[in-house]
Amino acid sequence: MKNKHRLLAAAFIAACFLTAARVAAQEQDKAEPAATSEYSEKGADTCLGCHSVEPFFATKHARREDPRTPFAGLQCEACHGPGGQHAKGMAAGQLVPITIAFGPKSKQTAAQQNRPCLGCHERDARIGWKGSQHEEADLPCASCHQLHTARDRMLSAGGQAERCLTCHIRQRGDFYKATVHPVRYGTIRCSDCHNPHGSGVSGKLLVKSTLNQTCYTCHAEKRGPFLWEHAPVSEDCSLCHTPHGSVYPALLKKPPPLLCQQCHAPAGHPSVAYTPQGLPGGTPSGFLLAGACINCHSQVHGSNHPSGAKLMR
Amino acid sequence: MSPANLHVLVSVALAAQAGAAFAQQSPGGTALPVDTSKWECKLCPYPKGSSGDVEVGAVNVDSDSFQFGRYTGLKKDTYLGLDANARSVQGASYLDLQASDLGLPYRSIDYEQGLSSMGKLNIRYAELPFLSSDSARTPFSGVGGSALHLPPTWVPGTTTQTMPGLNSSLQDVNIESGRKQFNFGLAAFPTREWQIGMNAQHETREGTKRIGGTFFLNAAQLIAPVDYTTDQLEAYASYAAPRWQVRFAYQGSKFTDGNTALRWDNPFAETLPGATFGQLGLPPSNQFHQLSASGGYDISDGTRATAMLALGRMGQDEAFLPATVNPTIAPVALPRSSLDGRVDTTRAELKLVSALSAQWRLNAAYSYDDRNNKTPQSTFNWVTTDLQLSPTPRTNLPYSFTRNLFKVSADYRVTPRDKATLGVDRDAQDRTFQEVSKTTENTAWAKYALQRGQFDVSLNYAHSRRDGTAYTPVPQISPPENPLLRKYNMADRDRDLVGVRAAATPWETVTIGLDYSQAKDNYNNSEVGLTYGREYTVGVDLSAQLTEGTSLHLYYSRQSVKSNQAGAQSFSNPPDWTANNTDTVQTAGIGLKHALIPETMDIGADLTSSRSVGDIRVSTALNEPGFPSIKSDLDSFKLWATYKVKTYLMVRASLWQERYSSQNWAIDGVGPSTIPNVLTLGETSPQYKVNVASVSLRYRF
Repeated sequence: MKNKHRLLAAAFIAACFLTAARVAAQEQDKAEPAATSEYSEKGADTCLGCHSVEPFFATKHARREDPRTPFAGLQCEACHGPGGQHAKGMAAGQLVPITIAFGPKSKQTAAQQNRPCLGCHERDARIGWKGSQHEEADLPCASCHQLHTARDRMLSAGGQAERCLTCHIRQRGDFYKATVHPVRYGTIRCSDCHNPHGSGVSGKLLVKSTLNQTCYTCHAEKRGPFLWEHAPVSEDCSLCHTPHGSVYPALLKKPPPLLCQQCHAPAGHPSVAYTPQGLPGGTPSGFLLAGACINCHSQVHGSNHPSGAKLMR
Repeated sequence: MSPANLHVLVSVALAAQAGAAFAQQSPGGTALPVDTSKWECKLCPYPKGSSGDVEVGAVNVDSDSFQFGRYTGLKKDTYLGLDANARSVQGASYLDLQASDLGLPYRSIDYEQGLSSMGKLNIRYAELPFLSSDSARTPFSGVGGSALHLPPTWVPGTTTQTMPGLNSSLQDVNIESGRKQFNFGLAAFPTREWQIGMNAQHETREGTKRIGGTFFLNAAQLIAPVDYTTDQLEAYASYAAPRWQVRFAYQGSKFTDGNTALRWDNPFAETLPGATFGQLGLPPSNQFHQLSASGGYDISDGTRATAMLALGRMGQDEAFLPATVNPTIAPVALPRSSLDGRVDTTRAELKLVSALSAQWRLNAAYSYDDRNNKTPQSTFNWVTTDLQLSPTPRTNLPYSFTRNLFKVSADYRVTPRDKATLGVDRDAQDRTFQEVSKTTENTAWAKYALQRGQFDVSLNYAHSRRDGTAYTPVPQISPPENPLLRKYNMADRDRDLVGVRAAATPWETVTIGLDYSQAKDNYNNSEVGLTYGREYTVGVDLSAQLTEGTSLHLYYSRQSVKSNQAGAQSFSNPPDWTANNTDTVQTAGIGLKHALIPETMDIGADLTSSRSVGDIRVSTALNEPGFPSIKSDLDSFKLWATYKVKTYLMVRASLWQERYSSQNWAIDGVGPSTIPNVLTLGETSPQYKVNVASVSLRYRF
């Protein structure tokens, strides 16, 4: 039965792919005017005759005295491409699009929009942009970043959360759960843990080289190494914790004792079925209530105590 | 290929070439494609002198709740707050100051100074409170220190119900901590290609946290001190040429705990002599150092390779505590005085992206991640919970892990905006001292992304199968695990993932988004342990510009996480109990913004509602009922208004009410003496209704 469902799902997906491919092959994108190499006569002064982008001039991109910035060179056309024909055409009452427009209404592909940005910014944390998840998803830089505002929203905690959670809907719900990482409150940012511009082959876009190293940035006390290690803790924090939000305390995937019983079943108390009989009103059980297993095995992240083999010291 | 398609492709190629030309030559380049000497920028509206805004105001919080203020520190109080943004530009030099929420418990100041075009300096200070619990009660004094004492008149009991002084000695105690972070960064740009810099952070975290202390089966929930200091440093140098970039970095982290141990008086009657107090170890101080190099190279216009290598070392060598503080047990000789713990980490990555043609792109990636635990092994005589010498010495198990991950995929662009991708991944993990020495997971996946005008849709599907070498009990683990157990991170597993995402703008003023994802795990060869998992999330978004001055945003999401596990109460017998766990979380929100007086007064309302339910049923042959649901309900409603008195002066006001209710059978009704053998903190599930009113005046200069 499971294989049948899998086959049906695969067939459905394949059918969607084929249909979409057929539709796509039949349709044609509206032809764009070919790019030209004709620049405007007066640079930004040409553009500002029609376009008002005052806040932009408070940003780093507009500093003419800094030779690294667009305004030290081709000004608006450094990013938007040669605007000579656009300016002449518009002045003559003809609709001639700018070579590269940004934003959701742009006719250029993500790669075309991103190329001017990467010309300067493809370095350091953005070295791995090509082939990263967001690049693979054809995201233009301008779908997140705002260059014509005085402060790019992606540089503030609130702005980041608002933008990231527009697409990452599951995480938006996670941040309203009982225990969370406080992105909703603006006291940490998505980019404290994630590098949205691509890092790591594993696909989590983390700021450090591994998941655990990322967690240790704020939780260095759990790094160890400890005399008595708890193997899943050393391997991968996310085996027990869910990073964005949980119904259960301490961002756990499941409450103890069930979480612990997924991996511990020796003879004795770890293998017992703890049922509602152990609740107050029945026979209150220390194996079930308060911290459950953690009441005794409190050093669950590892112990450096010579007598901590059972993570109880 | 049709002429129209050819036209599109030619257009793409030309635009791409044009983009490359700007990128390589315009900002500070030596050979601009046009003479810009007459581009005077006369109309450029550069701000003169300093600009920014200052906002002063007051915030009133009308009631106390640690759950409400968990991450903000807000309690019942009236706060005076200050926000400021200021920027001053002089040529290529600039000052940029941002102060947020000064006067409130969570607050930060960021300062950046651009030093001509040659470098910049960053300073940041932030305080981050964490309020954990305001419903705890304990008979111990000395909370916040490294020794917890019972009252001098304390009479130990064999159970919590037979501790005569318990109720009279309980004191309310808050569990909370706070971080203070100071960051300093310096970057130099000696040439356009080079960047050299460093970032340092000094963080202190002080307060308290929960911990458990036990004497065999008699335990007490305790409050441990938190006095952590973490210093982190990154130093780097990077070079960027048009076709290649490299970055070299050092990263260091040093963690120091101001306390090494927590002692506490045993509230229970001694089951063995001498166990009148116990001692727990607190996190040992540790260090981490890493050198890394990363780089990217455009082999051709369509082919780019990136690589990264990071070599690190974790170390911990804090002096061991004694094996016991029980004076009736003879001192236990330790094989070493400290761990001399050392873990070498290696991370290497190689990625290749190659556009074989305008339609085809090949992506290949490999990563190697090694945690080589070189901590020496020793055999320790140990004392069971400060009660008695264990007859079975234990040898520490320094776990090592190696992961090799391969990914290959191919993209086919049906049109410049439509893409089909097929890929395969292979994830092989090696472990030491564990039941499965090697697991290998193979994944095949497909994705299709389509864009038609204002309509985007993407579909993806993946199937994975994970197999491992023989499941062999670890001889050093005592008592042995049930041989039918399969730990879920090493168990054989089939996984299916499906995702659909769509976004449409049917009218210029309306955007609709839909997201669905599902993951299903089957652990077909696990008799005891996790056997099944399934999770799905569905979300809908709608944004609409109802009128020129009125906008609306609606969203809803539902997440369901289900898992099944099995257990066996008798060693090596077939499973005789199961547990089913289903978590359901629904979140809905609506936001409305309206320009009541255009350009002068805006009003708005935001309502968010979230319902989380965790249902658990543990079933044996007796067919027991399920546990009561673990719930949390949150309703947050905010009304706000802004009024522009002058172009430079604005008044803001808001009223915010948040209501929260929760229930958790693990703590509700569990007082300090409810469990005979566990003296708990008697916490309760948080409930609150908090009103927050704020008013502020913003001056723009």
